Amino acid sequence: MENNSKVPFSSLIKRTLKYVAKEKKWFIISLFLILANAAVGVLLPRVTGYFTDHIASDNPTLKTIIFLAIMAFVLNVVAQSFVYTQTMILTKAGQRIVYKLRMEVFEHVENLSQNQFNDMSVGSLVTVVCNYTSQLTEFFTNTLVKIIRDLLTVIIVYIWMLVLSWKLGLILFGVIIVIFIISYIFSKKVHKIFAKERKQISELNSFLNEALAGMKIIQLFRQENRFMRTFKDKNAEYFKTRYQVILSFSIYRPLVSLIYILSIALIIYMGVRLGLSAGIIVTFYLFLDYFFEPVQQLADSLNKISRAVSAIERLFDLLDIKPEVLDENTIDIKEFKGKIEFKNVYFAYEEENWILKDVSFVVNPKDTVAFVGDTGSGKTTILNLIVRNFEVQKGQILIDDIDIKKISLSSLRRSIGQMLQDVFLFTGSIKDNITLFDDKFTDQEINHSVKYVSLDRFIDKLEDGLDTQVVQRGENFSTGQRQLLSFARTIIHKPQIMILDEATANIDVETEKVIQDSLNKIKTIGTTLVVAHRLSTIKDSDNIFVLSHGEIIESGTHQELLDKKGYYYNLYKLQTSEE
Amino acid sequence: MFLLWGKHLNKYYLRYLPFVIVGILSLLAVDWFQLKIPELLGSLVTEIKTNGSIDLGSVFFRNTMTMAIFVAIIMFVGRILWRLTLFYASKKIEMNIRNEMFAKAESLDVTYYHNNNLGNIMSWATDDIETLEEFLGWGTLQIVDGIFLTLFALIKMFGVSVYLAAVSLIPILLIAVVGMLCEGAMGRYWKLRQESNDSLYEFTRESFTGIRVIKAFVKEVQQIRAFSKIARKNKDINIKFTRISVIFEASIEIIIGLVAAIIIGFGGTFVYYTVIGSPLHIFGQPITLEAGPLVTFLGYFFSLIWPMIALGQVITNLSKARTSYKRIARFLDTPTDIYDLPGAMEFDIQGNIEFNHFSFNYPGENKPALDNISLKINKGELIGVVGSVGSGKSTLVNSLLHLYNINEGQVFIDSVDVQHIQIESLRKNVNIAPQDNFLFQGNIKENIAFSNIEASEEEIIKNAKYADIDKDIVDFKDQYNTEIAEGGVTISGGQKQRISLVRAYMTNSSVLILDDVVSAVDLKTEDNILSQLREVRKDKTTIIVASRVSTLLNADKIIVLKKGKLEAFDTPENLLKTSETFQRMYLLQQLENKKGESYGK
Repeated sequence: MENNSKVPFSSLIKRTLKYVAKEKKWFIISLFLILANAAVGVLLPRVTGYFTDHIASDNPTLKTIIFLAIMAFVLNVVAQSFVYTQTMILTKAGQRIVYKLRMEVFEHVENLSQNQFNDMSVGSLVTVVCNYTSQLTEFFTNTLVKIIRDLLTVIIVYIWMLVLSWKLGLILFGVIIVIFIISYIFSKKVHKIFAKERKQISELNSFLNEALAGMKIIQLFRQENRFMRTFKDKNAEYFKTRYQVILSFSIYRPLVSLIYILSIALIIYMGVRLGLSAGIIVTFYLFLDYFFEPVQQLADSLNKISRAVSAIERLFDLLDIKPEVLDENTIDIKEFKGKIEFKNVYFAYEEENWILKDVSFVVNPKDTVAFVGDTGSGKTTILNLIVRNFEVQKGQILIDDIDIKKISLSSLRRSIGQMLQDVFLFTGSIKDNITLFDDKFTDQEINHSVKYVSLDRFIDKLEDGLDTQVVQRGENFSTGQRQLLSFARTIIHKPQIMILDEATANIDVETEKVIQDSLNKIKTIGTTLVVAHRLSTIKDSDNIFVLSHGEIIESGTHQELLDKKGYYYNLYKLQTSEE
Repeated sequence: MFLLWGKHLNKYYLRYLPFVIVGILSLLAVDWFQLKIPELLGSLVTEIKTNGSIDLGSVFFRNTMTMAIFVAIIMFVGRILWRLTLFYASKKIEMNIRNEMFAKAESLDVTYYHNNNLGNIMSWATDDIETLEEFLGWGTLQIVDGIFLTLFALIKMFGVSVYLAAVSLIPILLIAVVGMLCEGAMGRYWKLRQESNDSLYEFTRESFTGIRVIKAFVKEVQQIRAFSKIARKNKDINIKFTRISVIFEASIEIIIGLVAAIIIGFGGTFVYYTVIGSPLHIFGQPITLEAGPLVTFLGYFFSLIWPMIALGQVITNLSKARTSYKRIARFLDTPTDIYDLPGAMEFDIQGNIEFNHFSFNYPGENKPALDNISLKINKGELIGVVGSVGSGKSTLVNSLLHLYNINEGQVFIDSVDVQHIQIESLRKNVNIAPQDNFLFQGNIKENIAFSNIEASEEEIIKNAKYADIDKDIVDFKDQYNTEIAEGGVTISGGQKQRISLVRAYMTNSSVLILDDVVSAVDLKTEDNILSQLREVRKDKTTIIVASRVSTLLNADKIIVLKKGKLEAFDTPENLLKTSETFQRMYLLQQLENKKGESYGK
């Protein structure tokens, strides 16, 4: 039956139709317009045919000629206005569907947990949100509608042909069958070549991309020639496939036009033989276009359908991912006192590979505690767990003696101010980056937070002040300035608990001083947890935990730890001698 | 072609000239003969009109039919030919330019890649090259049809009836004008739509990249609201774009309808007066027009529609292609900074190195990365390099590879200035396992045997053992054939480092630089690698840049750098007594080790 997780096509379509259903009435209206357009459209060739008969007759009248001329023009205008109305109705409906779909996917992705994010590439998520949503919609508003329109037109035209001359109509049926078979075979073939072409160009481009990224290695190992050869081969292969496409079209298109011209000859011959009037022959000749045009689009349509299907699949795959960190049966808490407790906490990203092993500690409200240890000791993980970026495997984390799993994510994270090591800046102004685009904050609040962390010293020097734009993810700000900005960001959100991962990068002495001063101020606001890289900054902490390989090996105040003459003591001595 | 010239294109025009000529001639033949069909139809109408009906057996009818089939065959062959030749040429040119760009990319130096965005280069090699190809192929077709088919049809129309042609000429030209306006306006809206798409992409990308901050401050709702604004804008601009394009398409159709109506109306009137025997007079000239020629005339007009639209499009396409070509040409014309100087030497490098008052400034930086370094390294020595982040370690070793041009002081290898050694010969003999352990797609074996793809399995395994990675590799299901790719086996940073190390070992070069290659491996593995280093690099010069002092304790000599200056260059034993930086690093290291022993598992 079904292999792996592949969903059957019919259920995909069913699920997709749900999104389309709300716009049902517009689809029905456009169907009527399409029908009307097809009907009017086929009148035009008849007018031309009638005109031919009329002027070829012995007694043409000026009135009829002028009438027919005006008629041709009016019919055309009417047909075009139908096309316009129908296209606009469908486009609007389609765009509404795209909009809704995008909102749904975007919202879904925003609610996935940190861990799930790490597993997926941002690029492919973006493609689903931006691209696949519109591909899906386009399938309904464009591809499908075109197919329906063409089908309707062909049917109407053919019925009219039978009415005009059923004999010639029947003969042309043979031509239609031939052209359809040829087009079908061609579409199948070209579809395969197209797929190959797409695969090859994406391989060629990813090879190029990789070579550019690894150019240094290629040059250092003198592999230029080998890579050039491979590139040339791939490029030549691609050319070959492209030439196959050209070859297919070079036979198909001229063949279709050959059949077209021969069909005209056939119409003339049979028309004369059947004793049809010149006008009817001209009408048949003009009708031919209505068959030949759509059938040549067959390959294109097939291509679009297969693309839409894969887009739909991937879109639903993403929507089917359940958020890992659940926010069910939780309570909202307005304000925390700020007591934090770890009870025998175990944590691992991968099974059994424990990052934290049986970690227990208590932090009293308003205290400042620091975590010390080298890379991989688990100190940053502790901060991640408190805000539920990940779930602990064993043990419990309590805030104010409530298990954090029972606290709603929004109230938990709202009360905890996170100052992370590398400060992510969004495109926008400094102000936007402090408020994070939340317009609930007044200018006064913003200015207060800026002053509080002494960010004003830098901002005052800028021409545009708070409205200075952040470019290229904040490359126009130094690491220190970015740190201060993240402090301001935290302060304005009025947290009761603060977690801080100290920046490791070099910060100049002056900024360093400013950062320390504002940190000391921030620490008075509430419970503060600091991951420290320089011991000099944490001397005043109420408690210091020294971590190694996921376990707490020492704890106490700065003085207590120095007296112990253990790991902390030695580390401190070395670091101070460096300065 | 024709309208787009440039030195990177002209040579290919010349090379594919025969194809282009055959293609254009075939196009001209098709253009000429396709105008025969309206004539045949017209003659049929005339025949019916004069004889009342057509005799199937008549010579006229047989000739007409033969002619029709003849025309059909010529058009069939012509159409096959022009597609096969013109598109062959345009796609060949595309292929060649792409190859040229790759070759150019390989000749550009590290500085270029540092200063230029990879995404830009990619878009020149993909989007711009495609735009160019499209113009060379379709553009040529549009130009030829636009000019010649228009000309042929107009001449014939004037031949049928000067007055009717004159009357319909203006609205016909209108098609080209509207077509041009349409391309222009659509281009503007297309750009707006593109910008809107870009901002949608950018916002989504940024939101997903900064998801941590958003979650930390519980701003999901604000993000969704902001996204909704952008998505709605995108929706509106998409609707606007469709509206503009439908309006333009419809107006072209309506103009066509108008011309058809004019031809029917005026032509019909002319025919009417001709039939009733009192033709209209203009400037004293009688206008006579029969029904047959009128049908022919109408046919000519229908043949004119496509070339008129094509003419309108050519202008926009040309300017697009020109911009693309300029970007490609600028890339191909980029000067290369690192190349063999005249008289550059080629020789077997032994591995004696000397820095002589060597200083180095990265372009655009005002502080020197290295300041007045002088030291000598002898063939076969194992040399360590230490110093804190930003002290100039990587810059020092990179200077041996001629990645940058040196402007102050000299670096000598075997008494020859590095800049006067042939790059090929230099890099054959001086190799590096760089800090960024970039691995290529493909399996582990291919990555290890990178410098010599035909290396024996024996040699690969031997070197892999030296780098203490063999034991990891044999644990993978596919062993040495394990693919290194997204979604493949997860290879840790430490394993990547070691694979990159084997890759460097495989070159067996006279001078080998290991730039911080054991930073991500555990102490035991590091020990295994270092203890075997002497064996691998017997009698050859080796330079190890390290962040841990333990790595270097058995080195012959160690270079200690501090803020770009040479603090000390001595044996480890002496350095422990003399160099402050080295002492501190050593103590810190010991502490870590002790902690590992007493608290580790």
